[in-house]
Amino acid sequence: MNGAPASWCFVLMGQQQAAAELLADSGRSGGANLATSPLLGAAVTGIAALILLLPRATRASRRVGAVMGTLSLLLLFGGVMVPLAGMSSQIVFWALAAVTIVSAVAAVATPSPIYTAIWFALSLLGTAGLLLYQGAQFLSVATVAVYAGAIVVTFLFVLMLAQPEGHEVYDRVSWGWYTKPMSAVVAALLVALLSFSLPAMPGPAARMGDRADQVLHPDHMARFGDTLFGKHLLSIEIAGALLLVALVGAIAIMIQAGHLRAERAEGQSDE
Amino acid sequence: MNDVNEAALLHNYLLVGMVLFVIGMTGFLIRRNLIVMFLCVEMMLQGISLSLAAWGRYHNDWGGQMMILFIIAVASCEAAIALTLVLVVSRRTGNLDVAVWQDLREEGELPFVDRELPEETTERPQSPVLPPAGRQPDVDEDELMHRSHV
Repeated sequence: MNGAPASWCFVLMGQQQAAAELLADSGRSGGANLATSPLLGAAVTGIAALILLLPRATRASRRVGAVMGTLSLLLLFGGVMVPLAGMSSQIVFWALAAVTIVSAVAAVATPSPIYTAIWFALSLLGTAGLLLYQGAQFLSVATVAVYAGAIVVTFLFVLMLAQPEGHEVYDRVSWGWYTKPMSAVVAALLVALLSFSLPAMPGPAARMGDRADQVLHPDHMARFGDTLFGKHLLSIEIAGALLLVALVGAIAIMIQAGHLRAERAEGQSDE
Repeated sequence: MNDVNEAALLHNYLLVGMVLFVIGMTGFLIRRNLIVMFLCVEMMLQGISLSLAAWGRYHNDWGGQMMILFIIAVASCEAAIALTLVLVVSRRTGNLDVAVWQDLREEGELPFVDRELPEETTERPQSPVLPPAGRQPDVDEDELMHRSHV
């Protein structure tokens, strides 16, 4: 991980080739040093940002938390992440990743559940963009249609049905005083540990055929469908059966609850 | 050069997926609203989807994308069942707080009690209200009888 900042400097100077070589070297040597790694800074500022941004009992300014979060994101992008080849692809990736992560944090941090759902939808759009950038065209559209189009709208419907007016107490507080710092620390530790294991990944030598022949083929849908209904035919049948079972189950639960309520109402009127 | 870029892409996607997963996890642990907790779980699934797509591209294999498709299918099943349960539960208790259901905790565990909460200090922004204009329309009594009361 030591090479990442230096290779980043190379990218700033427009020398992607040198950056890539440096990166390949640092990846193989694996000499990671926590103290000099920007990962530490990103983790610490990330913890602070999460603690400051998450809902609190009183309305307080979240400016410090937002600044911390931005700092953490910059450290993550500039220091921990590996620069991509080409400035335009780098900028597109950063923009999509920033939209995804920032709106995810906002979804968790806002006390009003309606805004949570809307921020989550924005985060989904960012994810869909990232999937498209990865070449997964169908999944990108499916994410927008199924998640942002159907699941989030259902969530919003249920919120409108079930959520009482205004900011409830349970939306503004957590479980006691220590839950927030503890979970933020655990989250940062998880990211830090996993990122430290990343440089040990198979290097560029582990190349598996020509991507333009498989996952990046121009006939994306044809190849995708071929694999889905060829190799994974049984799985798709099972998934269909699961969807049907879930549908019937949801209706059954609702009917059962209606019966129970009617019985209770009858019992009360008898007394 | 191209291979290095693929490795860099994998690395970055794994990081973004990881961060998304961890944010969802934090939200699930901290938030107490049932619906928000479910949204946080969906967010964790999104993080997993991103890393699956990255691995699939890196290994030049369709498996990653297939897995994402099945994740989407199972997530929609989960959302249907979970939201039905949330509706039933919220009708019974009148709110969406998870702490209401702490009777289900293990025997010997102390109950969780909220410390006293100060009220919100600032006013919530008021939505604009249209001033009344014109005169009140005549109401047809018969029609009111037929209209279902929502």
